[in-house]
Amino acid sequence: MWVVLLDRMDPTRLRRCLEPGLSILVGTADSAGTPSCCRGIAIQSMDEFETITVFLPVATSHDTIHNVATTKQLAVVATHPRDNFATQFKGTTLDARLAREDESAFVRQRLDALADVLDRIGVPRRLTHRVAHWPAFALTMRVEQVFDQTPGPKAGSRVR
Amino acid sequence: MSLRLSDIRRCFQGVIPSMIATADSRGLPNIIYVSQVYFVDDRHVALSCQFFTKTRRNLDENPVACAEVMDPVTLQAYRLRLKFLRSERSGPLFDTMSLRIDAIASHTGMAGVFRLIAADVFEVTCAEPVAGFLTEAPADMPEGASLDGMRTEMRGLQWVSERINRATGLESLLCGVLEALEEYFNFSHTAILLHDEANRRLTTIASRGYGESGVGAEVGIGEGLIGTVARERRLLRLTSLEADLRYGRAIRREAADGKRALQAEIPLPGLPDAQSVLAIPLTIGDRLVGVIAAEDRDPMRFSEWHEAYLDILANQIALGIDRMMERCDENADSAPTEAQAQTSAISPLPAGPAEDRRVRRLTYYRNDDAIFVDDEYLIRNIPARILWKVLGESTRTGRTEFSNRELRVDASLGLPPVKDNLESRLILLRQRLQEKCPDLQIVSTGRGRFALRAGATVEMTER
Repeated sequence: MWVVLLDRMDPTRLRRCLEPGLSILVGTADSAGTPSCCRGIAIQSMDEFETITVFLPVATSHDTIHNVATTKQLAVVATHPRDNFATQFKGTTLDARLAREDESAFVRQRLDALADVLDRIGVPRRLTHRVAHWPAFALTMRVEQVFDQTPGPKAGSRVR
Repeated sequence: MSLRLSDIRRCFQGVIPSMIATADSRGLPNIIYVSQVYFVDDRHVALSCQFFTKTRRNLDENPVACAEVMDPVTLQAYRLRLKFLRSERSGPLFDTMSLRIDAIASHTGMAGVFRLIAADVFEVTCAEPVAGFLTEAPADMPEGASLDGMRTEMRGLQWVSERINRATGLESLLCGVLEALEEYFNFSHTAILLHDEANRRLTTIASRGYGESGVGAEVGIGEGLIGTVARERRLLRLTSLEADLRYGRAIRREAADGKRALQAEIPLPGLPDAQSVLAIPLTIGDRLVGVIAAEDRDPMRFSEWHEAYLDILANQIALGIDRMMERCDENADSAPTEAQAQTSAISPLPAGPAEDRRVRRLTYYRNDDAIFVDDEYLIRNIPARILWKVLGESTRTGRTEFSNRELRVDASLGLPPVKDNLESRLILLRQRLQEKCPDLQIVSTGRGRFALRAGATVEMTER
C-alpha cells in the first residue's frame, strides 16, 4: 500500500511547496480535541519532505505552541494564492524552538514574496507587510501523511 | 464573546479566504481554506459544504471548530471558536449561499459540478481579534452609509423616480436610470438586460461605461452571473470576484480530467478586470422583466446598503419598463394600419451626389438568423428579421415609413403574441445600426411608427 501511495506522489506538488509566495496555515488541537489555527510565514524541508519546518510568529501562535507541547499533532497547509494549488501535511512534532537569528532573513524573504503575490491579486503590499513575522517559532514535524488540498473533487485525497 | 460579529462584517465578504481547523475523535487536526464564512447573525456563521469531506467527517465526530477571518481593509485577523449546530439543505440561508456558488460555477463552466451541498451552521462561542497579528494597530475605518450618503441616495431615489415617471419612451427611461446611478452612486459601469421570453435569453438593451461593446450582448437564463440572477430571481452581490473566479477555475482545472464535458467559459460582459458585481433581477410579481447589473474594479465597491437600496430602485425600474411596454402596446392599437402608412422611396440622409454615396453590403444568413454588414456582425433573431423585412419592403415598394402594428401582425417575424418586447427590439436595432452601420437609421416618426433612413446605397444578399 505504501508503494502505491508513493507512486501517486507528484514531484511537482512537493517542489511547489518550497516555492516562495505561499500562504501557510497551521492547525492543532488541545488534549480535549478542541482545534486551533494560526497562520505560518515560511516553510522549509531539507530532506525531501521526510520532515518540514514551519515558522510561526511568536505573537500569534501561543495556542499552537501550547497544543503541540501536549499532543504533538500538527497539520500544515501550503497554498499558492494565485491558483489555489494546495497541499496538506500531517504528522508529529519533533522539535519546537525559537527561530535563530540566521533564519530571520529567510522568514522575511518569504513574507515579502507572499506580499508580492497578494499585491498582484488585490491585497496591497503595505498591508501584508504589517503582519507580524518576527520573532518566530520554528516547529519541525515528521511528515506522516500528505493530502491534495486544491479545491475540487480531489480535495482531501491522500497522495502520501 | 468579546465582540459582535456585526462589528466585523467586512470579514465575511469573502475578499480574503478564511481558514477552519477541526479535529477528529482522536484529536488529529485538519485545516483548510474556505472561500467565505457567511455572516448569519451576531451569534451564528455558516460555511458552505462543497468538497471538504474531511472537515465534514470531523464535525460529525467532534462538533467544534476554530476559524480565522480577516478584515480586507485593515488585514486584522479575528479568531472564532465555533460549535457545529446543523446542516441546512434548503431554506433562505441555503438559497442565498447557493446563488453565489451557482453563479460562479456557471460563469466558470462548472454548473452542476461545483455546487453547494449544504449550509453548515455554527454557533460562535467566542470571537476576538488575534492579538499581535499586526505590528501596528489598524486605523478605524467607517463602515456602511453615512448620513450624508443616505441623503445623497434619497435624492437619487427621488431623481430616478422622477426620470421613470417623466420618461416618454423606453429608451429615455433606460438612459435616465443609468445616468442617475452614475450621478448619485458613482456606478460608472452599468447595464440593463431585458428578458425575451420567446428564446429564454437576456439582451443588453442599455449600458453605460462600456463603449460600443455592451448593447446587444446576450446571455441565456441560468448562464453566468447575470443569467443565474435571472433564473433565481434573486439579487447577487459579489465582492472579490477575482478570488471567487480563481477558486472556481481551480476546481475546473481539477475536474477537467473527469469524464464530464465542460462548457466553454463565458466571458464577463463589460470590464475584463471587474472585482465586484451587483446584479439585481427586475421582476413584477414572479415575472422576469430583466436584470440590472453594475460592475467595478474595487472589490469592496458594493455594500449591503447598496444592495438594499438598489433593490428598491429595481422595483421602480421594473414597473417603469413594464409600463412603457404596455404603453407601446396601446399606441400600436391606435397607430395607422399598413394601408394608411406613407409610401415613398428610401429617404436618404443628407449626403453628397449619388455617385459619392457609400455602398453597404448587408447579408442575411438564414441558418444563423443573423445579419452582417460588410462582413461584420450586426444583429440577429427578431430584430434582424424586422430589419430585413423593412429593407426588403422599402426596396420593393419604395416605402420608408412603417408601423409597429404591421410588424405585430407579420407572423414571419416570430413575435410572441403577448409581451412581445417590440419596443425594446427596435431600440436594440436602432442602437446596433448606430454603432455598426450609421448610414442606415431607424427613426421614430410618432406613436407606434418609425421610418427607415439611408445615407448609403444598400446591397442586400440572402444566404
